[in-house]
Amino acid sequence: MNSLQRIQAAIHFEQTDRVPVIPQVFAHAAVLVGKTLGAYIRDGETLAQCQLKAIAHYGYDAVFALMDAGLETEAVGSRLLYRNDIYPCVERYALDNIRDLDGLVVPDPNLSGRMPELLKAASILRRELRNEVLIVGCVLGPMTLAMQLMGPEKALFLAADEPDLFGRVLDFATDVAISFGLAQIEAGVHTPFVFDPSASPAVVPPQFFREFLLSRLKRLFSALKSGGSLSNWLHIAGPAETIFPYYPEAGVEIANFDYCVNPMRARKLLPETCLNGNIKPLSFVEATTGDISAECAGLLAQLAPGRGYILSSGCEIPPEAKPENVAAMVSASRAKE
Amino acid sequence: MNSQAFDRLIKALLDGDQSVAVAEAVDLRNAGVDNEQIIIGGIETAMGKLEAKCTVEQFNLLEIMLAGRAVTGVIKALYPDGPPPATRETVALASLEGDVHDLGKNIVKTVLLAKGYRVVDCGKDCPLETLIDKAEREGARTICISGLITSIMPLVRQVVPMLQIRGLTGIKVLAGGAALKQASANSLNVHYVADSVFDCVRYLEESTGQAPVQSQ
Repeated sequence: MNSLQRIQAAIHFEQTDRVPVIPQVFAHAAVLVGKTLGAYIRDGETLAQCQLKAIAHYGYDAVFALMDAGLETEAVGSRLLYRNDIYPCVERYALDNIRDLDGLVVPDPNLSGRMPELLKAASILRRELRNEVLIVGCVLGPMTLAMQLMGPEKALFLAADEPDLFGRVLDFATDVAISFGLAQIEAGVHTPFVFDPSASPAVVPPQFFREFLLSRLKRLFSALKSGGSLSNWLHIAGPAETIFPYYPEAGVEIANFDYCVNPMRARKLLPETCLNGNIKPLSFVEATTGDISAECAGLLAQLAPGRGYILSSGCEIPPEAKPENVAAMVSASRAKE
Repeated sequence: MNSQAFDRLIKALLDGDQSVAVAEAVDLRNAGVDNEQIIIGGIETAMGKLEAKCTVEQFNLLEIMLAGRAVTGVIKALYPDGPPPATRETVALASLEGDVHDLGKNIVKTVLLAKGYRVVDCGKDCPLETLIDKAEREGARTICISGLITSIMPLVRQVVPMLQIRGLTGIKVLAGGAALKQASANSLNVHYVADSVFDCVRYLEESTGQAPVQSQ
């Protein structure tokens, strides 16, 4: 059973030779091989080579063609501030003035900002790893992209004050995600990871999710699936239990859940959805390998017997994580072989 | 009659309905209620109810931001020539250098202002020296650091030692935010890690034992 087959089996709650393991290694791959984060997020070739070296080093089951949360908004017209050792941030928002909404254009993924570099990374990873390993892309979910286009405070106040207008911003963000996600699939990713931390109940209440975000996520996942995505994979950060019941309707097939969510509670709320989580990201920086091994063993004991589980972190593994802690997570999955 | 008017003001604040909250506050003042009573009976009561709600149900930024905006609107309406004097201690607030996220910091600022604290906002991406200089200059009794990324943790660990070197040992240091709240106070070398903005306020009230000072 290769990595891709193992993950496909887990998604369908079928028996696997071992529990698949996908640490969310993004720019940690750059740090691991001695490249700067700044180079990693700007150059598709560098990103792909770092990911290839990281998977060769650790031996987990998936690689990520993923740069940062500023990629889409930059392609739409925002200006980013880059630094060498941290992810870029938005310096000027493309939709600083809501009156500019009608003038926004869904960016062409082959021409806009760093999107072509991300597509290049995806195609290199697919060429090198073929169908042995899951190649994961990434699009921002509608809520997170709306906040990246407008700035978080403006976006949230608009959502409250002019919900219909905010709905149009979400529709635009969904269009961007669909266009970019389909381009990633065409370039070689098996599945674009939908990253929507701002849809968390820690940011907006569950009824907001139901009224504003559910239909957009449903449209996004439906389009990605029609475009050939292997699986619909969603990450929403924080205490997301209250919105889990909407995941099946949205079309979610893999639910990444954060460290603050009780694993058995997640399983109860999502009995037919593959779960993926949930070691605390900071533990990879601060804990010992013994701590990580023990946490993984606990998760495997709870979730592996019921199948439909991928061992993972609750969110991105910080770039500065200790490599031995990532290795400890991978080893833990093999202890069950 | 005033009791019902206060209830309406509190409801509008909790609903985040700024225009209704402002109208209710102005009506109360026109009925002879002084500003201080409106703040204590209206704003402080509403903030207490919001805190209780966020503890019992779930904390979400949107509701707190809307309530905060309504509070700001009421205070501006009551004090058109400038905000009233703070009734509680001074707090210096920042996101440290390398962290450009300020949504969490701004929410803490809004709630602390509404609770009567004097807030010195040192901004985002703030160098450590600048934060400590301002805290000293403004007489802050507490420094609050909001952090969304784990890479600033080494900087957070330096705050208390730098305060000690400068002889500012009376200043307490609090950390919070999505990244920092994953860590313990011990590992961050701070006095307290707050799980939410209201947890931050609780710590401030308990650590200083400071009830609001009646304004002159």
